[in-house]
Amino acid sequence: MMKLIAMSIMALSLMGCSMVKEVKPWEKETLARPIMQFGGIHPEVTKFESHVYFSKEASRGGSGVAGGGCGCN
Amino acid sequence: MFKKTIYSLLLSSITLLALETGDKLPQNIQDNLKLERDKVYVIDFFASWCKSCKKELPLVSKVYNDKVVEVIGINVDKKQTDGEKLVADLALPFPVYYDSEKSMVETFDPMGFPAIYYVKNGKVLHIIFGAVDEIDKQIVKDIKEIK
Repeated sequence: MMKLIAMSIMALSLMGCSMVKEVKPWEKETLARPIMQFGGIHPEVTKFESHVYFSKEASRGGSGVAGGGCGCN
Repeated sequence: MFKKTIYSLLLSSITLLALETGDKLPQNIQDNLKLERDKVYVIDFFASWCKSCKKELPLVSKVYNDKVVEVIGINVDKKQTDGEKLVADLALPFPVYYDSEKSMVETFDPMGFPAIYYVKNGKVLHIIFGAVDEIDKQIVKDIKEIK
């Protein structure tokens, strides 16, 4: 019984996070599509949409990752 | 029953290792690619959706046409027709193996695309992952070093 428990602990520890399947380079066909790029298929459309958003909501930000700097613009 | 489950869990935790420099290709791969002895081969993995591959392939073709080295392309598109279209569009002069079932690429297990393997006598001599500017010049340089 102890042997089985030890084996099951070993199995679980060896498995680790292997249940999460890694996306291999040759499986990235969908990720390589233009629509999957950061900012959408046409970044200028995203820029325009965010302009409409901040004009309507009178607020901006929170839609991306800050690149540093003073944030005064 | 419980023992069987534990054993299968243990087996599932063992992952296949990627081919690295110095490793020997499995015999079935050597047979499928019809590799001849004492010849250096460049095995180039590519796909139609891979932009860097599309950039590199004409340069690899140039190297092949200049008879610098034997080249074998391995296309990994899900649909073989996509691969065939790319091969036709770029007029690739070297033989291409269509690996839509992924048996070849899973054995090599490259960590990036495009992936180029230099192979001689079934042994991996050097590997290049990812896009390289002027890959033709790089291949010529590598082949000089290998020979």
